[in-house]
Amino acid sequence: MIDRLIALGENGWARLFLVALVVLSFQTTIFNDMRPFGVCLQVMLLLAASAGLARGSETGAIAGFMVGLMYDLVLTTPLGVGAAVLAAVGYLAGYVHSFVHEPTWWSRMLLAAGASAVGMILMPFALTVVGAEGVLTTRVIGVAFVVAVFNGAFSLPFERVCRWALADSTQRT
Amino acid sequence: MAGNSFTRRRAILLLALTSVMLVTLDLRGSGSVDGLRSLFGTLFRPVERVTRVVVRPAENAWHGITDYGNVLEENRRLKDLVAYGEGAGIAAIASVREAQELLALNGLPSLAGINSCTAQVVGQSPSNFAQTVEINRGSECGIKVGMPVLNAAGLVGKVTDVYDGRSVVMLVTDPSYSLAVKVVNAPPTTVPSASPGDSAVDTTSTSTTTTTIKVTTTTGIPGFVPGSTIPPSTVTNQTLSPNVTVTVPTGPGQINKPGSANQSEITVPAGADLPLRETGALEGRGISRQPVVRFIENQPRFGEVRIGSPVISAGGATSLAPPDIVLGTVSRVMKRSGSLGPLLEVRITANLDALNFVRVLLYQPSTERPVEP
Repeated sequence: MIDRLIALGENGWARLFLVALVVLSFQTTIFNDMRPFGVCLQVMLLLAASAGLARGSETGAIAGFMVGLMYDLVLTTPLGVGAAVLAAVGYLAGYVHSFVHEPTWWSRMLLAAGASAVGMILMPFALTVVGAEGVLTTRVIGVAFVVAVFNGAFSLPFERVCRWALADSTQRT
Repeated sequence: MAGNSFTRRRAILLLALTSVMLVTLDLRGSGSVDGLRSLFGTLFRPVERVTRVVVRPAENAWHGITDYGNVLEENRRLKDLVAYGEGAGIAAIASVREAQELLALNGLPSLAGINSCTAQVVGQSPSNFAQTVEINRGSECGIKVGMPVLNAAGLVGKVTDVYDGRSVVMLVTDPSYSLAVKVVNAPPTTVPSASPGDSAVDTTSTSTTTTTIKVTTTTGIPGFVPGSTIPPSTVTNQTLSPNVTVTVPTGPGQINKPGSANQSEITVPAGADLPLRETGALEGRGISRQPVVRFIENQPRFGEVRIGSPVISAGGATSLAPPDIVLGTVSRVMKRSGSLGPLLEVRITANLDALNFVRVLLYQPSTERPVEP
């Protein structure tokens, strides 16, 4: 039993699941309550982008999908919409990062901010596609800006966490 | 490199297809999606609860910083409301005192003339069915069986057992409690069909809808106009009927008001503005059920009883309580068929679940006095 738990802990995806579970609890509590400028900050989006920055586009896409699916399970939006959007964000962050020659800390912050902004704009589009009404408004731009600034500021610690969590899976792939 | 690219494309395609499938399943209301959400909720809620406890200080600090101004504003607004309420309460107390003075002046019974004994509720009945409370004053204070008990909000009940140093009070919600009450109904608002130029009707040029009541002159008393302000020097002695005579001053300075004989005026309220009253019997209905008032008659003048109309004790020789003690307000009107009047549910103003200090009026109704052999 203990051996199984240790083996599970060694699995990168299992570690990411546990990290995502904790981050999701922060998302639904403190970040749901603290709304600077009336905007709910999206740390799940930051986690997906950080996974892409830490381990590349493919791992970022799968990590984003997993994180998004977990987020969907506690939201009332259709299951799969958040998963698709966050997978795209993780893939985009990793893909663009692969083109950066000698990435620095600030370039990673900028990439996290950009990927988050894209994710916040993609989300209402995806929701509109599946039939949600009234989500695609000009307010999306302001929301995307605030989320991008926050996610850019906090991207480095999140990237480090993702790098640790996904270490094993990357070595396998 | 080509194989790696193929794997990547296949993974992305697989994720996209999975997303579409999940969205389709959810939008079609699949039970498996609900089961998945429920399962994840079972796993996630404990983590969320722990996190909520951990982050609460941070949340409080955040709200302390960001909502400080709003809280101050709300505090100011609530202070204004409290001040307004206190002012209204003082005005109401003044009105009550004036009414009591007026009653005393005319030799009518009022609460001001009844002695009372203040007591504290020390216990409730351990039974699930009896609705009684015990107070810490008894026969040493002059308390007798049948005396009404009230607190600051209104009537609470009546004394049923008296001992030395304690008494038992039956609450008004007890099914065996019954009391004659008056329901004070607001008069129906009437809109006169006055012709243009009628001096009795005020007209406004604004778009605001105003309700005006046409003042009519009482033909029986020449010069007497209800609702008008009349100088005392213009009224005279008049006989309304063989049994009723109105005696009023006739000349300047006749009014009995020191220092202002020539300037004083008497304001007579219009009869239509006076609240209408109807008597009935209030009966308790037990725990968790509001008392009802029966025997209210369907009188056209009284009109339909409105929600919120005050219910006060009616008084009378056989009543359990003196008149004009507040009981509560009408919370529901249940219409009944035939000539039966409506049944009124009454929301008692006194909080019977949290009684503390009460006042026992030393007024023993005639029906509760022991019969002498």
